[in-house]
Amino acid sequence: MTALVGILLVAFVAGVFGSMLGVGGGVIMVPVLSLAFGVPIKTAIATSIVCVIATSSMAQTTFARRGMTNMRLGMFLEVATTAGAIAGGITAVLVDGRYLQVAFACVLFYVAWQMGRRRGDIEAVPGPVMPATYYDPAESREVVYGVHGLGVGFGLSFVAGNVSGLLGVGGGAFKVPIMNLLMGVPLKATIATSNLMIGVTAATSAAIFYGRGYMDPHWAVPAALGILTGARFGPRLAIHLPTRVLLIAFEVVLPVFAVLMILKALAVIA
Amino acid sequence: MSDRQDAGTPPRHEMDPIERMVNRVLVVGVGLAVALMAVGIVLSLLDGTGLPAHVVALGDLASRLGSFDPAAYLSLGLMVLIATPFVRVAGSIVAFARQHDRRYVLITAVVLAVMCLSVALGRA
Repeated sequence: MTALVGILLVAFVAGVFGSMLGVGGGVIMVPVLSLAFGVPIKTAIATSIVCVIATSSMAQTTFARRGMTNMRLGMFLEVATTAGAIAGGITAVLVDGRYLQVAFACVLFYVAWQMGRRRGDIEAVPGPVMPATYYDPAESREVVYGVHGLGVGFGLSFVAGNVSGLLGVGGGAFKVPIMNLLMGVPLKATIATSNLMIGVTAATSAAIFYGRGYMDPHWAVPAALGILTGARFGPRLAIHLPTRVLLIAFEVVLPVFAVLMILKALAVIA
Repeated sequence: MSDRQDAGTPPRHEMDPIERMVNRVLVVGVGLAVALMAVGIVLSLLDGTGLPAHVVALGDLASRLGSFDPAAYLSLGLMVLIATPFVRVAGSIVAFARQHDRRYVLITAVVLAVMCLSVALGRA
C-alpha cells in the first residue's frame, strides 16, 4: 500500500515536469521503479513507456486547445523519429551502445549549457514554412514564427529516433533542442510539439511490451494515474511561466538525464 | 506581432480542424482509459486481492471482462491508453483529408504505417 502511494506521488511529480518540459515523464520512472521499488527492469521500462504515453496524451489536450502545438511540424518530424526507431538496430551494430550513451550524454550537457546561458527564448522569425501563431500569456503577446532548417531537423530527428530505444530516454530530451535551437521554433511551441511527438514512439514500444507480457498493472496503473494527474498541471505551468524559468528548468533537468545515461553506460543502473 | 499588450484577458484560441480532431481523440481516449482503470481498481478492492501483476492477453479479454475480472478491466484501460496515439494519428489523416491537404495525408499515413510495421516486427 505504501508502495502504491509512493508510486502515485513519484508519477505525479514526473507528470508535472515531463509535461511542462515536453520530455515525457517516463525517464525518471525507470531508475526510481527499479532502484527504489525493486521492480524488474523490463517491467520498469514498460511502466515508464506507459507514463510517456499518458504524459503526451493528457498534456496535449491542454496544448492543442491553446494552439501551441505545431501539428504539421509534429507530424513531419514523426516520420523521421518513427523511421529512425524502426531502423534502430543499425546504429547498435555499428557502434558499441555504451560509447553512444556517453556521447549523447555529452550532447545533453552541452545543450543544457546552451539553454541555460540564454537570457530568453530564441528570436521568433516569421517564415513561409509551417507558419504558426500562439498567444504567450507570460508575455501578453502573440508569437508569430515560421519553421527553419527542415532538412537538418529531419535528419537529426531520425538520429534521435534511431538511438532513443538504445538510450532509453525516449528522445524527448533531444527533440526539444533540435526544434528550439536548430529549427527556430519558440520554446513553448517546441515543448508542446515535442509533447505530441513522444506519444507516438512510446505507443509503438508499449504495444510490443504489452504483447511480450512485460506490462504489469500493479505498477503501470498507479503510475499512469499519477502521471495523468500531474500532466494536467505541467502544461499550465509551461504556458504561464516566463520562458526564462523554463530554460532554467532545462538547465537542471537535462544534466540529470545525462547523468542517468552515463550511469546506464557504466552499468551502475539498468 | 499584434498589439495585444493591453489586453487584460488572453484571446481564446479557435482550434482548427486538426487540433479539434487531435484534442477530441485524446480527451475520449484518456477519459475511457481512466474510467476502465477506476472500474478495475474498485473490482480489485472488492476482491481484496490488491492490483494484479499480469495483464490479460487480447484473446481472453472478452470472457474475463464478462466475469468482472479486475485484471481484464485494468488491462483494457492500459490498452486504450496505448491505442490512443495510434487513433490520434489515424484521426489526423481523416482531418487532413477533409482539408484536401494531400501532402499531410501522405505524411501522416507514413507515420501510421511505420508505427504498425514496428509493432508487427516487434521492435521500436
